[in-house]
Amino acid sequence: MALSSSVLATLAEIVGPDGVVSSPEGRLVYECDMHTFYKGAPDVVALPRSAAEVEAIVRLCRRARLPIVPRGSGTGLIGGAMAPSGGVMVGMNRMDRILEVDLPNRCATVEPGLINLWLTRAVQDRGYFFAPDPSSQMVSSIGGNVSTNAGGPHCLKYGITVNHVLGLEVVTGAGDRVQLGGRVVDRPGYDLTGIAVGAEGTFGLVTAITVRLLHAAEAVKTVLASFSSIEHASEAVSGIIAAGIIPAALEMLDALMIRAIEEGIGAGYPKGAAAVLLIELDGPAAEVEAQAERAAAICRERGALDVRVARDDAERALLWKGRKEAAGAVGRLAPTYLLQDAVVPRSKLPAIMREVLAIGERHGVQIANVFHAGDGNLHPLILYDDRRPGELERAKAANEELLHACIAMGGTVTGEHGVGLDKAKNLPLQYADADLNFMYRLRGVFDPDRLMNPGKLLPAHPACGEGFRPARPRLPAGAWI
Amino acid sequence: MAVAGRSVGGALAAILGREGLREDDAARAAAAVDGVVPRWVARPATLEQASGVVALAHDAGLGVVPRGSGSALELGRPPARADVVLDLGGLDQVLEWSPDDLTVSVQAGVTAGALAARLAAHRQLLPVDPPGAATRTLGGLAATAASGPLRARYGTLRDLLLGVRFVQADGVITWGGSKVVKSVSGYDVPKLMVGALGTLGVLGELTLRLHPMPESERTWLVRAHDAAAAQAFVDGLLDSAIQPSRVELLNAAALEACALPGGAVAVAVSIGTVAAAVQAQGEALVALARRTAAEAAAAPPDVWAGYARACAAPGGALLRVATLVSEVGAALRAAEAAAADLAPGIGARVTGCAAVGTLRVALPGIAPGAAATLVERLRGLVAPAGGSVVVEAGPRALREAVDPWGPVPPGPLALMQALKDTFDPARVLNPGRFVGGL
Repeated sequence: MALSSSVLATLAEIVGPDGVVSSPEGRLVYECDMHTFYKGAPDVVALPRSAAEVEAIVRLCRRARLPIVPRGSGTGLIGGAMAPSGGVMVGMNRMDRILEVDLPNRCATVEPGLINLWLTRAVQDRGYFFAPDPSSQMVSSIGGNVSTNAGGPHCLKYGITVNHVLGLEVVTGAGDRVQLGGRVVDRPGYDLTGIAVGAEGTFGLVTAITVRLLHAAEAVKTVLASFSSIEHASEAVSGIIAAGIIPAALEMLDALMIRAIEEGIGAGYPKGAAAVLLIELDGPAAEVEAQAERAAAICRERGALDVRVARDDAERALLWKGRKEAAGAVGRLAPTYLLQDAVVPRSKLPAIMREVLAIGERHGVQIANVFHAGDGNLHPLILYDDRRPGELERAKAANEELLHACIAMGGTVTGEHGVGLDKAKNLPLQYADADLNFMYRLRGVFDPDRLMNPGKLLPAHPACGEGFRPARPRLPAGAWI
Repeated sequence: MAVAGRSVGGALAAILGREGLREDDAARAAAAVDGVVPRWVARPATLEQASGVVALAHDAGLGVVPRGSGSALELGRPPARADVVLDLGGLDQVLEWSPDDLTVSVQAGVTAGALAARLAAHRQLLPVDPPGAATRTLGGLAATAASGPLRARYGTLRDLLLGVRFVQADGVITWGGSKVVKSVSGYDVPKLMVGALGTLGVLGELTLRLHPMPESERTWLVRAHDAAAAQAFVDGLLDSAIQPSRVELLNAAALEACALPGGAVAVAVSIGTVAAAVQAQGEALVALARRTAAEAAAAPPDVWAGYARACAAPGGALLRVATLVSEVGAALRAAEAAAADLAPGIGARVTGCAAVGTLRVALPGIAPGAAATLVERLRGLVAPAGGSVVVEAGPRALREAVDPWGPVPPGPLALMQALKDTFDPARVLNPGRFVGGL
């Protein structure tokens, strides 16, 4: 839809002429996030510098009934930061200041466009860090992390983004700027901060975030164990957890993935192995020492081919480099891939990995696996070449079948990437009509006119297109009239 | 729709069976909430029965007060209505425990003590330990956002509740969250239910994240000559690599109440991990105490057994105070000073998690008027930084003299009202008890 010139002029007044992107080639940059399947350029992009400007943008869009799509760094994997029905995209990149670091209270308040890693860099010399560490942390924004409730390898021990958010300033879809939570915990009333994290921009635009900072651990050790089968590696994962060890991270890579990484950057992973476990322990030195030994022993008991402990920071960094760049390394195997993010209870890992193999074979696609084994969060990369007819369709079919398998085992459709446009259609696998109806109404509390990031997070009902309607319980007939 | 009492009673009996419904005077009087006597006491045996009761109450225009063990009925404002007390103690089954997954699904009426006894077989724990937790139900602990010393390390139920099945105000059974430790599919509905006092839904089933029990644990009692010295020690502790599982402040009266060696104020620090690390961290802790003019000694092994006594306020009032971590010593001092001024001689017991900035102030035997003034005075101190003072327990007169929740800023309050209007427009669930009279 073409915007009226008065809307464009007002936007330019709000954010300044350099804060408006309206040319077709300029808008094209914003037509998708990292899930490049889904494309939809906004009619205009606004780049505010302050919460007051954000508020003015929302009010303008409300008057003009225009959809609003928030965007951070655009590194999302779910088709969240794109504009399927056009409207105004609000890019938060220019709001990237650290507003306050309060070390006595171990927290910081930042603007949403701040890059995740920059916060840790700002406080690490004083011994602190910001725990959520999605693999995109070098480029992803904290506002985006908050919106998707991002995870990362280390959330096994430290929890996902919501566990680290103390407060938010939000401009709601109703156009109100509200402060939710803050530096002090236990606010009386509903946990509005908790429910707003992970809302994927459907409640409003986050304009400031107060996060916890954690004190760095005294020691850290990374152990690498290779196995002759995924089953053995999965059993080692269960064994480690059963021994009462919660590693900071517990990652698994399969043979295909190991090959891709070794051919790419050469992280020193054993080439012949069917599975590699990357186990990171952090905490008090004596604890790390004892638990690393124990974890290594458990791996050996479960038939590990080789168990290595990184000798120094450089080796540790290299082991991690392979993991963090896994998705890129896959480019050596196939031009493109579908990335799945489903979760199973971790005790079901051996079963689901057998299923992954079978699904790949059934559909004739290769599936490379790199995932957060410690919390059962799978990341199968379903490889395909879209120049070959039928491959994409087969990859999609395998993807859907995999999701169903995870749900059947008691899992969830997304562990850390979010729902976005990509998985909205999958939520009914996991939720009944009553549950979805509750979420629809919840969204309406913050965004009564449904202007915020339309089409994302919630599915449209196949029949009525809007909220799902639950059946009410039947009351005893005739007992009271 | 107005419905005659007799016919509602008949419908309730049809839903619950004879054994699930009490209408006699004795049962009704025993279930009174702040003196409001219900007409029925419903004790469902299944979640479907609970759903039926709520649906009926909704259609008949009745108010429902959900109840677990009944230990937190003094939290909040007096109810505007309490036609049906919904006793969830009969929903007491552990539904699914998968030790390898460190998750458990329980019905809301399971007590924390009963669950702990089960979990001990695999050395796992649900680290939620407010005073008296053992006999409290998990649904009640979640609905009241109860917490204890272990939150220093493990957080609160906000961090531990993964999934929840609840009954909406019109009786519809609804699920939010997931049964796995990590999920972002859809809104994080469990967050909305923790601390909501059942006003958006009656909690029926909970899926919870568990933790492994540490291999070894010891507690040190760090005594300081005043609150400022205790604060200095806490600041140093939190700025170190020591990873405590409890950082609990206790003032002199609290120490005395749980029969711990005396002093003006002490910080009880627990460390739970492998034995070698407990030893090493303990040594670091003792050295740190010395540097900050405090004195550390090993606490007796049963140090936490008497902790509930430090939080007991017989015949008085119990307050929850939240403030900045850096101000927790000052808040402790202010609470003591206000109590000495307004109710001399009662011996205010102050405890709390110094690592997150929360205190409990137990005021045994305090008169409601004095307690109300004390609440306002403490609010004046902590509110500017966003802190709060909530009356966790106390007589109705106190909670009428002062808002037990304290003020909520207009922006968030409007959203909370909108939530209540959306999910319980007829004001069926715990009417009037929550913040802003919701």
